[in-house]
Amino acid sequence: MTEKTTYRLPIGPIHPALKEPVQFEFEIDGERIVDVDVSLGHVHRSIEWAGTRRNPIQNLYLAERICGICSYCHPVAFSLAVENALDIQVPDRGEYLRVIQGELERMCSHMLWAGVAAHEVGFDTVLYLTWQMREKLLDLTEYLTGNRVTKAITMIGGVRRDITKDMVPKIQETLDYFKENFEKIRHTYLDDKTFKMRCQGVGVLTYDDAIKLCAVGPTTRASGVKKDVRVDQPYFAYSDLDIDYITPDILTGEIHGDVYDRIIQRLLEVKQAIDLMEQCLDKMPSGDIVAEPKPAKLLAMLKKAEGEGIGRHEAPRGEVIHYVKLVSGEENAYTWKVRAPTYNNILPWIPMLKGEQIADIPIVAASTDPCMSCTNRVAVVDRDNKYILNKEELHQMSVEKTRRLLK
Amino acid sequence: MAEKKQLDAKGLVKYFKDEFKTKIKKTTVKKRVVGLEKKESYFVWITIDKSIFKDVIKHLVEYQFPHLAVVSGNDLGKTIELIYHFSLDHGQKFKEISLNIKVEIPKSNPKIETICDYIPGALITEREKQEMLGVIVEGIPDSRRLFLPEDFPKGVYPWRKDGKGMEKVIKNLHEVKK
Amino acid sequence: MAKGLSKSFKKALWVYHCNSGSCNGCDIEIIAALCPRYDVERFGIKLVGSPRHADVLLVTGPVTRQMKDKVLRIYEQMPDPKAVICVGNCGNTGDVFFEGYNLVGPIDNILPVDVHVIGCPPRPEAIINAVAKVWVKLETLEAK
Repeated sequence: MTEKTTYRLPIGPIHPALKEPVQFEFEIDGERIVDVDVSLGHVHRSIEWAGTRRNPIQNLYLAERICGICSYCHPVAFSLAVENALDIQVPDRGEYLRVIQGELERMCSHMLWAGVAAHEVGFDTVLYLTWQMREKLLDLTEYLTGNRVTKAITMIGGVRRDITKDMVPKIQETLDYFKENFEKIRHTYLDDKTFKMRCQGVGVLTYDDAIKLCAVGPTTRASGVKKDVRVDQPYFAYSDLDIDYITPDILTGEIHGDVYDRIIQRLLEVKQAIDLMEQCLDKMPSGDIVAEPKPAKLLAMLKKAEGEGIGRHEAPRGEVIHYVKLVSGEENAYTWKVRAPTYNNILPWIPMLKGEQIADIPIVAASTDPCMSCTNRVAVVDRDNKYILNKEELHQMSVEKTRRLLK
Repeated sequence: MAEKKQLDAKGLVKYFKDEFKTKIKKTTVKKRVVGLEKKESYFVWITIDKSIFKDVIKHLVEYQFPHLAVVSGNDLGKTIELIYHFSLDHGQKFKEISLNIKVEIPKSNPKIETICDYIPGALITEREKQEMLGVIVEGIPDSRRLFLPEDFPKGVYPWRKDGKGMEKVIKNLHEVKK
Repeated sequence: MAKGLSKSFKKALWVYHCNSGSCNGCDIEIIAALCPRYDVERFGIKLVGSPRHADVLLVTGPVTRQMKDKVLRIYEQMPDPKAVICVGNCGNTGDVFFEGYNLVGPIDNILPVDVHVIGCPPRPEAIINAVAKVWVKLETLEAK
């Protein structure tokens, strides 16, 4: 390729940037990265194939275990697809309850991400701080749904549990706690000299690249593209609420598209989520929470029905889309296609990582908040090579760079 | 990307029908109404003939650069049906239109042109269709396997429902010698 | 935990976590066990970055075909005495993914497991309980 020899450096599948297996292959020249190749497939569990062997209500529970962090958005997108295919109308109270659960999950996921990003830069204390705050959200989730992580609150046509009047004070108490401490988090991340040195100007994704590569979620909004399924297409109760696109220039006035902008983007989204939940609690109408409460009747209706539909939802990481095709006479879905947001955010890694140093790989990869288990529903090949960095070494390099910058 | 007058769902259907006339086999416009304020969202489904596929994509890109969400596939017996899920008009509150283009290709000659030269973000989803359905995408820049392991047998396509799918899965996979 | 402790383990247990294709639910609960609410570090248990320093292996996920030999390699790199904890339903029986064509079966078929933790995902308290049981088991084995 060039006169100087470049090293090929495979990293993965077990490595520090993520807790999940994915393999990168970098061509490096000294310390700079020249080219990137990503191989996927370590987490393939053949979910779409298994989904055609089960009826749609069982698919809801299978969809939940696609990913533990975004365990609400996959069942909800599946329900939207089935409702779209069969023209099932969800009652209004059910739509508002779905918004509350979705925004709660968004806050949990962004706090998790904030901790992981701090850990990659080397600030373990901030990891403990954000995860301690996240425990309050998990307590609220357990109070409303019964479990911390896999919630099983969605049903085709609505939700399964209601929020009664005596539950509202606890929700309000948690939201107040976050409103008070938001300034503390903002100060830790955005005013710190080290974060600025490590994150500004690193991992840039330009506006044109974001559009051409069809990136989704906070990754693309941090580059200035106004794409947000909640605001673009009305679904749930978002069209009744006061909601707008969020881009980093709301806080700073400029858009660079680097890692620092993505941190700002996610912190602003947490603030927006608190606001949306409060609006929902104010405006919630009364009525049913689900269109058809008896599962047996629902299954009988699904067996007779025919159609195809798509369901899109704005997960914490971007746009989730599910496609379902049903044929009459069969209870099981004929086809089920799942596309998780990280799928579209893989190609943007290539322009983001070119020209960066090796020690920046963990923070840039983590800044797009990848969730490999959503993407793969598979795994990668290992090749023999002379120069293999293992998990500990790569994380150590990232932390050492921070220490060097501090001096 | 010339910014022409923005079309609504029915205008979009007319835009394609005017250009391609009879090669467009079927069009459907679905409307959904949500919320207390009864806002509407539109879903457009267009079935086209395989021969005009690349021209349709070119026509679409000339109107506006679309956002490609994903390509899904159906096994319909003698043919494979590919559905390209696009969405247009992002950035304006509550006005996005969801456009789905369906193409059928025969199993005896499962070839389709790539759209990576117009939309670079389509690479990963086209690679997935190649290994899961056995479609051959002509002109794709990178045709390696994406999700399945390298030692997965060739000629077996997990999403197919004829004999080439995964109907017979031996439960004790790990006992079978590789 | 004070019962059955002998003098052989001068330091506390060091744990290595390996993800063999899980959905991350169990992994989040493992990391939550380290955080100030449950705070397993007060016992001295910590997460290390290399299997060569570890005493206990925490495996999550149904083992996919691609990850099988890597999991075996990690087990072989760990020095004796060692123990394996299987966290979550996926590794124990396969859970909802039992019929997948890319899965190599429960972890029992690949590694000898000492403690099974069930749950989808198991709560952090259950994971700490499992590590405590392994500690007692290793101590009793050392004493023999």
